[in-house]
Amino acid sequence: MESAGGILPWSEWGHNSVSLLAVNDLGKRFGGVQALQGVSFTVQDGDVLGIIGPNGAGKTTLLNCVSGLFRPDRGDIRWQDRSIVGQAPYRIARLGIGRTFQIVRPFPSMTVRENTAMGALFGQPAGRLQPAEALRQADAVLDLVGLADKRSHPVLRLTVPDRKRLEVARALAMRPRLLLLDEVMAGLNQVEVEQALEMVRQVRASGVAIVLIEHVMKVIVGVCNRALVLNLGRPLLEGPPSEVLRDRRVIEAYLGERYARGGDA
Amino acid sequence: MIALHLRLRPSTRRLAVAAGAIALAAVVIAPLSSTDAAQQAGLPLLTDRLWFRIATTVAMFVALASAWNVIGGLAGYASFGNIAFFGLGAYTTGALVSNLRWAFAPALLAAPLVSALFAAVIGLPLLRLRGHYFAVATLGVGVAVGEVVNNLGPLGGATGLFLPILRSDLLFFYLMLGTAALAVAATWVILRSRFGFGLLAIRENEEAAAVIGVNTIFYKVSAFVIAAALTGLAGGVFAQWNSFINQENVFAVSDNVEMILMAVLGGAGTVLGPVAGAVVLELTIETLAGGGSAAVYSQIGLGVLLTVCVIFIPRGVIDFFGGQSRLSLGYLRRTLRETSA
Repeated sequence: MESAGGILPWSEWGHNSVSLLAVNDLGKRFGGVQALQGVSFTVQDGDVLGIIGPNGAGKTTLLNCVSGLFRPDRGDIRWQDRSIVGQAPYRIARLGIGRTFQIVRPFPSMTVRENTAMGALFGQPAGRLQPAEALRQADAVLDLVGLADKRSHPVLRLTVPDRKRLEVARALAMRPRLLLLDEVMAGLNQVEVEQALEMVRQVRASGVAIVLIEHVMKVIVGVCNRALVLNLGRPLLEGPPSEVLRDRRVIEAYLGERYARGGDA
Repeated sequence: MIALHLRLRPSTRRLAVAAGAIALAAVVIAPLSSTDAAQQAGLPLLTDRLWFRIATTVAMFVALASAWNVIGGLAGYASFGNIAFFGLGAYTTGALVSNLRWAFAPALLAAPLVSALFAAVIGLPLLRLRGHYFAVATLGVGVAVGEVVNNLGPLGGATGLFLPILRSDLLFFYLMLGTAALAVAATWVILRSRFGFGLLAIRENEEAAAVIGVNTIFYKVSAFVIAAALTGLAGGVFAQWNSFINQENVFAVSDNVEMILMAVLGGAGTVLGPVAGAVVLELTIETLAGGGSAAVYSQIGLGVLLTVCVIFIPRGVIDFFGGQSRLSLGYLRRTLRETSA
């Protein structure tokens, strides 16, 4: 695909080359901090794009701009060739963009099932559901993320990994075409990471494109077809995960200079 | 669907419904015994004028607490400005009847419209604030509107506004009861609708609600407008009932605090919580009102009561029957079942 070209994908002539999501030259400043600068990338159907970078690189800010919680200062964000900059978060959600939060944000007084049903009730692009139908769909999603046997638990009784699963479930219940995952595997042990990886693969197989922020390299290599590295708000490199993770600049920025000198990666 | 509905066992529920129906029927029918026709037919006099005054006041606070519950309990925005809607409703009806010589009925219908319109205008900027910022801002609006009205000559200024006296205890009791019923029914319908789930999502986590597709601004303003319309309607009835309104009796911040206390004590976010809170608290206040030093102790008592409730049953007294709280009957029943099994 010519998506590597940058500007071509959202040309009005390119019928087949219209990206699901196209971010172009994005910039966001908080007071004296330039959180994002000159960030561009595209997401096609079927993509799993990993975004990596050290703490403070602007990864979460980027997701917040895409989902409408922040308004970027410059640049454009296009969803199927239409700009979504400045649109309210609920509109962007109903276009088919679901997201999770790194620090989970469940609805605390509701059960797991009710939390998930809220995604189906409000987020589906197709339109309005009755609450009963939303609950039925929630059950199907809970099966997928492995929370089926805890569906009637109050959220406050869930463990951290389960709360992360619930974030994914609520976003999936929206039937999104693009899912933005913000560190859903941080803090999980080896076994849990394997389970979460399997879940992401299943989501991808169901035809949902994914952008995921992750520090766990195993995840980036295991499920992403492309990786974008951010450092201090600027894009450092983009490409296939295995190549990106071998790049000296990435290793220096991300894993530290000492690792770069001593490592044989 | 939602966790906040009362979860009663079917047998308990049937009993509660039956008891409620009998109580409601008594409240609705008893006043009729005081009409001339009933007296001539030799029926016992069940009610006197004092009873009417208290019952009408209780009904008014049921309406006010339930209306507050829509914005404060369901959407989670603790409004200290609902008293402005009450005062505006009262002054709308008052001015139309007193200055423009409208009949009471159309003047009453105008009250909720004016209050709702005002809520929409101030709601758009104010509902961007959260938590105590929202509380303080709405408190300011409540006080400011009262001061403005107090200084408007055509509205009687500091003297207040007098309405032609309409003497019918029965009429005003039923009007307030109707307003209260409307407020409770509105809450019941909202809690079963998509709109209600959206409000609960906003209360529980507003950013999460926004990114799953809830139009948060529209939902919050709508809840504010519904609360304002119901509060304004109660204000309109009050104006004609009392036939005299001024800043002190329709813009009193203490009344706003009372609505909140009633809703929170009874169970904010539930249908029946604010009703229970309003009935119990208002009857207590009315009973203690004439008691001299008892009134002072009652103030202290209310404070202690609020503290105890917030600590032990933060979801209100209604939850005592529902079963989430550790002090609730439901919790006790579950514990007994689990330990005996």
